[in-house]
Amino acid sequence: MVDIFSKGSAEKNPNEVLCVVYILYFDEKRGQIPLLIYPNDKLRSNKKFMRPIQYHPVWFLETEELDHVDLEYNAYTFFGKKFFTKSDRQKRRAGLKEETPETIVIIVSLPVEIDIFGDDLIRKLTKSIRDNFGDKLFEVIESEIASDIIIKTPKMQERIQNGKKLKVFMRDSIDKTIKNYFAKTIKKKSDSSSIKTQKAISYFALKGFEFSPLSSLKGGEGFSDIELFDPTKNVDEEFQTKSLFTIKNINYIEDSQELEVVIQNNTIKELENISISISHVKEFFEKEIRNELIDIWFAEEELLFISPILPHIDEYLITIYKQNDGNQNQKILTKKIDLKLINKIKS
Amino acid sequence: MPDKEISKKDVIIRNYRTSDYRATLEILKQLNEHLDIGFNEKQWREASGLRQFKPNLKRITLIAELKNNGEVVSMGMIEAVKNTLGRYIGYLNHWATKKEYIGKKVGKLVVDRAIQILQSWGCDSVRINLPYGTNEKLLEIFKKTEFHPIITVLEKRF
Repeated sequence: MVDIFSKGSAEKNPNEVLCVVYILYFDEKRGQIPLLIYPNDKLRSNKKFMRPIQYHPVWFLETEELDHVDLEYNAYTFFGKKFFTKSDRQKRRAGLKEETPETIVIIVSLPVEIDIFGDDLIRKLTKSIRDNFGDKLFEVIESEIASDIIIKTPKMQERIQNGKKLKVFMRDSIDKTIKNYFAKTIKKKSDSSSIKTQKAISYFALKGFEFSPLSSLKGGEGFSDIELFDPTKNVDEEFQTKSLFTIKNINYIEDSQELEVVIQNNTIKELENISISISHVKEFFEKEIRNELIDIWFAEEELLFISPILPHIDEYLITIYKQNDGNQNQKILTKKIDLKLINKIKS
Repeated sequence: MPDKEISKKDVIIRNYRTSDYRATLEILKQLNEHLDIGFNEKQWREASGLRQFKPNLKRITLIAELKNNGEVVSMGMIEAVKNTLGRYIGYLNHWATKKEYIGKKVGKLVVDRAIQILQSWGCDSVRINLPYGTNEKLLEIFKKTEFHPIITVLEKRF
């Protein structure tokens, strides 16, 4: 993918190395078909570029309940989310009715250096698309199908035009969501304790995105208002209030071969029925090594979780779930831990 | 602080917070000087006193804070451990009170709260670790609160 991005033929867009958004649907006759690729729609016919999209595990999901599924490929992480939307389109396979819902997949690809932002970004993009275009996506699909037919009736042409208009609005909405997200939700501090955040900010700086406090004086709409080394600015409030929990500290205790994680309840109220799961991934399978149910987590309280480290396993996954009324777990936060990157202490 | 006893209404008994690190470090150092509990300053880190979740272990560090000035005057750790016989035993460990507040019954307030918590955790019994050679008078006081001596622990240090 890197070589494709660097080709001069690609449409020049300052954000294209940062983030690519694919909106696809499942066609009952032809399989996975892209509806829209942001920022450059021309890449849909490039087989090499589309390879990770065609084989993304999100296609194998039977349900939309799972928050999202990720695929790491060639220095990019592809965050995939599947959902179903209303349809009123005549299907081309026996057994499917007009009202059989459309299967829509949104995939967001980010360079691995900044994949820390992927969870939040795909949620925002999915929400924006579902809220604004959920009921109209089947019209875009109809337009896509109609444009492939050689002889077009006036009705088909009307559908194609309608689909094209909707795509313009969708593209605009995606563009705004992405710019807004990166501009507002990254902590405007260079002293962040998270190695991942520091790494991501370093990546932005390296790629030449605007960080300087002077950027706001340049006029015009900049890509981001991230400003490093500006002590007068506070951390973005929206970002803080949205995060129920913060992972404050992670240590690897060498003597006892344990992983020590400090997590804080950021809210000013007691939270009930929160569960913390620590798992590791081996050969594509996630294996849980620890699960702790916290009956009551007091306001702003920090808790310490200690888990044994398994031999030859360096990557762990911490997930925080909230149990809702129906005893179902809602995922609130996920963090990948690489033992090679965290603080090591003796005992 | 006047010489009178400290009552329930004068203190807040709460969970340890990382901001208590300095105060608890001082109290533990004082305790170690007095009883040689094997305290190593490097091993008492900011997160050490937080409510802790580890396989087969639950731990809380309780803090007694004066209501009038927020001073941390006493601390103690409670642990619930499943022993090899499958019994869930609650332990009261490292109970310490600042020198100037010893004898003002603040420690008892913390212990009462700790026992309540251990009961709520479903512990089968509660044990208190006391220094070897604890005088008979103190043991008699504990007997009145239904704590009876049952084991002597020997330790070899490396």
